[in-house]
Amino acid sequence: MSYDDVEIEDMQWNEELQAYTYPCPCGDLFQITKEELKIGEEIARCPSCSLYITVIYNAEDFADKKSNNNLEPPKRQAVAVA
Amino acid sequence: MLACGGAHVVGLTSSGKVLTWGRGNSGQLGHGDMDCLLSPKIVMSLESYCITQVSAGWSHSGFVSDEGCVFTCGDGSFGQLGHGDYRSHCSPVKVSFFVNKHVEQIACGMRHSLVLLKDGSGNLLYGFGSGKRGQLGISIDRIKSVNAPEIIRGFDDVQIITITANADHSAALSADGELYTWGRGFGATSDFLSPQQSPSSSKFSKVALGWNHALVLSDNGEVFMLGGSHHGMLSNPEITTLSKHLSDGAVLERVPGLDGIKVVDIAAGAEHSAIEGAIKIWGWGEHGQLGLGSTRDETSPQTVSLGDEVERKDGTVRVYCGSGYTYAIRTFCS
Repeated sequence: MSYDDVEIEDMQWNEELQAYTYPCPCGDLFQITKEELKIGEEIARCPSCSLYITVIYNAEDFADKKSNNNLEPPKRQAVAVA
Repeated sequence: MLACGGAHVVGLTSSGKVLTWGRGNSGQLGHGDMDCLLSPKIVMSLESYCITQVSAGWSHSGFVSDEGCVFTCGDGSFGQLGHGDYRSHCSPVKVSFFVNKHVEQIACGMRHSLVLLKDGSGNLLYGFGSGKRGQLGISIDRIKSVNAPEIIRGFDDVQIITITANADHSAALSADGELYTWGRGFGATSDFLSPQQSPSSSKFSKVALGWNHALVLSDNGEVFMLGGSHHGMLSNPEITTLSKHLSDGAVLERVPGLDGIKVVDIAAGAEHSAIEGAIKIWGWGEHGQLGLGSTRDETSPQTVSLGDEVERKDGTVRVYCGSGYTYAIRTFCS
């Protein structure tokens, strides 16, 4: 079972791991590389446990050469209403 | 007392000293570096203060002094340190927004923080950091993030006595024993962008948050859970599938199997729960966080043995849950 669905924009690029990461409840990080995203992989795994998450992203953003979105700290204010 | 975060621990001594250990790669340990520590170390820059309350988030930490100052350190990339920017700090920095206010509590979640001011100063509650799931409660709009404290709405006529945060959840208890939650919805419920009172005939004295559940203790010692429909089933997908229809996570459900136990406190890890009185624990067990001698998940509360030698002596036990780990502190009567 996928532990959670996480949008790519909520994941953080980790220079050291060369992967997009998101906190895993075990304390480690779910990880997925740009290469994996490029081939359409949508599962980010945690190296320390059995859990994994489903990454929500637009395949076109990663299909060609690397994109540089999602890397900036969130600065935009208020969008959309519930 | 201990505050247990994603992979670091903040310990507070009875004399107001702070010790930290664990993962430090975001500066969350507050020692002026980004090193991890295998054993507790006193946070020297807080030595001149008497710290009265601490909190540990996923990768940031908060400290409140007896004079009502609040300090934060660690990852600031979502604004969760409250300093008006998105910088990280590896030593505790006083949050200047609160310099003329008396802070009573801070609660650190995954990427956000809540601050409660002392009663008498208007009993105001503030939020900062990531707000994407409504966990800040500062607006009826969905806010991506704010890097400076903003007032949480909806408590004009309510006296809040305690706050807590974990993952993208926030919760508060009123002096009248009412439970309020906001942020990511539990189970199948949608996100709450502003504090919602959970309807219940019980009055609550304690609240603890996991990543998908809230645990609350009522005045008469009963334990209830909000969400947590896959609590204790993470490693067993078949049961999870079956249980999906049992609860939508929207209502408080009494935790069964605790009859006759005088529960005095509760604790919640990301995906596990513990009670004090008799020490019982349940939930996700893959990393041994249940302390039952196995790595099995447990769907109902199980008794934890602290060993004959420890249990024979008089004293009190406090249990603290981090994301995927648990601490029990035994204090012996002298």
